[in-house]
Amino acid sequence: MHPEFRGDMDHHDGTSDAIPGGYVEKQRPGELAFAIFLTLASLFLLYSAYGISGFDALSAPGAIPMATTLVMAISAFAVVLRTARLKKVTTETLSKDILPGTVVLFIGFLIVFGLLLQPLGFVLTAAVFLIVAIKVLAKRGWGYTLAVALGSLVVIWIVFRVVFTVLLPAGVLPEAEFIQYFRNLMSAGAS
Amino acid sequence: MDTFLAIFTVFTQLDLLVLVGVGTFVGIYIGAIPGLSVTMAVSILISFTFSWDVYPAISLMVGIYMGGVYGGSRTAILLNIPGAPSAIATAMDGYPMAQRGEAGQAIGVTTVMSFFGGLIGILVLALAAPFVSEFALSFQPRDYMLLAVLGILLVGSLSSGSMIKGIFAGSLGIAIGAVGRDPLTFTERFTFDFQIMEGGISFIAVMIGMFGVSEALMQLQNVNMKAVRQKIDRIVPSFGTVKKYLPLSLQTSTIGVIIGALPGTGGDIAALMAYDHAKRVTKKPKVPFGQGAMEGLVAPETANNAAVGGAFIPMMTLGIPGDAVTAIMIGALFIHGLNPGPMLMIDQPDMFWFIVGALFTANIFMLIFGLTGIKIFTKIVEIPRSIIIPLILLLSIVGAYAVNNSITDVYWMLGFGVFGYFMRHYGYPLGPVILGVILSRLLDDNWRRAIISEREELGRFFHGIFTSPLSLVLFVAVILIFVSQTPLWAILKKRLFRKTS
Repeated sequence: MHPEFRGDMDHHDGTSDAIPGGYVEKQRPGELAFAIFLTLASLFLLYSAYGISGFDALSAPGAIPMATTLVMAISAFAVVLRTARLKKVTTETLSKDILPGTVVLFIGFLIVFGLLLQPLGFVLTAAVFLIVAIKVLAKRGWGYTLAVALGSLVVIWIVFRVVFTVLLPAGVLPEAEFIQYFRNLMSAGAS
Repeated sequence: MDTFLAIFTVFTQLDLLVLVGVGTFVGIYIGAIPGLSVTMAVSILISFTFSWDVYPAISLMVGIYMGGVYGGSRTAILLNIPGAPSAIATAMDGYPMAQRGEAGQAIGVTTVMSFFGGLIGILVLALAAPFVSEFALSFQPRDYMLLAVLGILLVGSLSSGSMIKGIFAGSLGIAIGAVGRDPLTFTERFTFDFQIMEGGISFIAVMIGMFGVSEALMQLQNVNMKAVRQKIDRIVPSFGTVKKYLPLSLQTSTIGVIIGALPGTGGDIAALMAYDHAKRVTKKPKVPFGQGAMEGLVAPETANNAAVGGAFIPMMTLGIPGDAVTAIMIGALFIHGLNPGPMLMIDQPDMFWFIVGALFTANIFMLIFGLTGIKIFTKIVEIPRSIIIPLILLLSIVGAYAVNNSITDVYWMLGFGVFGYFMRHYGYPLGPVILGVILSRLLDDNWRRAIISEREELGRFFHGIFTSPLSLVLFVAVILIFVSQTPLWAILKKRLFRKTS
């Protein structure tokens, strides 16, 4: 197997969790820019690691951070040099293959999800997210979208609250009262 | 006797048995649904089982782990998409078999062989771990430090993907692990004076981001890909078939255990090496390798399941994981207050034997669920991605939030998710990052302990290394691997080859 093996033609985009994307002998759109970004970020971190304790002592808190960020900077720079020498992939573009509109849209959805999670509460935010996401991806009618989204939300909610007892932000819905109501109902039935 | 009882804890408590069973079942399906992976499942589950008692939580996760390693072979065979790194080699001959309409047979043989390999791995774990752990008690801090470096280097350089990018990923992981207040001197590291960074970055947020969100974002590009309908009929293989490949599977299981037991190497490398071995020893395969040879399926599948038991040896006795999945399992043990390392065997031998028992049980469940329920299986695999992806994203957010009830973790998770997305696209392996985060603390602590005990003198430190055989072996291994990554190696190799030719 080629030591630089990075997946075959079918998996060059990292579709499979197992195989990192990219080609061995070509650079994908934006690959060089990413490598340069990593080099600059590593250098900045190296500078920041130096600031922790400088060359105080070998056992200083900054020793390992400095060593690792140095390795990061060197290896990232080596990647830059190597990538720059490769030919560009002609069949791919940044907006089509690396960062398509859907991906940007979903990153946006996730940020909004994070912002709304605490004020609105888990149930409402998740419901909105699932409905919008499934509507966008499945491109099916509202009946299908609502049924699937709300159905899976109910299952997830039951699993988390009952099986895993995970605490989720309650937000504006009177969730605790709702659970208590059912508990009372159950205990009333049991007694 | 106590040992015996601890191994069979799983059987005496029905709820634990059920959890192992459910875990294995879910693991197989998670491994088998394209777009879901074991690493993703275990990292998300850690945060949900957080509030559980340790025994049930470990039962569930061991089941998922065992089932997932096996389940990854299903998508490799049916769709040519390895569900786990360890299934890369399986796809090479499994997929051609499925294309010929022999998917049922391929799955059947894979299941039985995985069970066989898993059994050997667990046996070796039970026999070897107590000795390794006793031996590990004599390890100096410098040995631990060298082991950690060795592990990260090995994962970075040997796992699939570019070597230098692997090394970058490993060091990035160590740096992420160093963020926050240093536990020894309380100095701030990489906090940039932000108060929220003082506590460090939750490694669960990193894991879920890298393996959950980035994977889901990746899958967005294939949302319209049709789920492939496969006709699978008889899958239970005949006894004759199993017997025929038994000698080969014994050899490849041995390879699996040994490779798995090395710190830093796990199922993926074991499977590839076993595949290579099978290619060499099989003189006349019925079908050529790469076109659907049964040997090419038996070898990696026995090896990667044997590697599970093997990988638990360094993980439980030294606290050093073999690959991304074991790294996540270590994270799970940490979360439940267990500290994998030589002291685990002394302080909580019951816990060790319980895990051995749980692995064994999961292996049996794997055989049962693997050979049955093929009808439900084909249904589940056909769930459209347009539903799976939003659900993974939702679970990732909930999982990241649930551990500390903190919205900051959700943002870290999203950040690492987007970063991991680009890393995937450009061929940077993600496994070493997680390994680095997990080993960061161990590496840092042991380096400082080692150098302080040598009165901060590098000369004395190296003197210590060269006078201890163990340290010397580890040190030489680290140097060799490191040199093999640099241009120096290529020059040396050229010289050597010129001499011989």
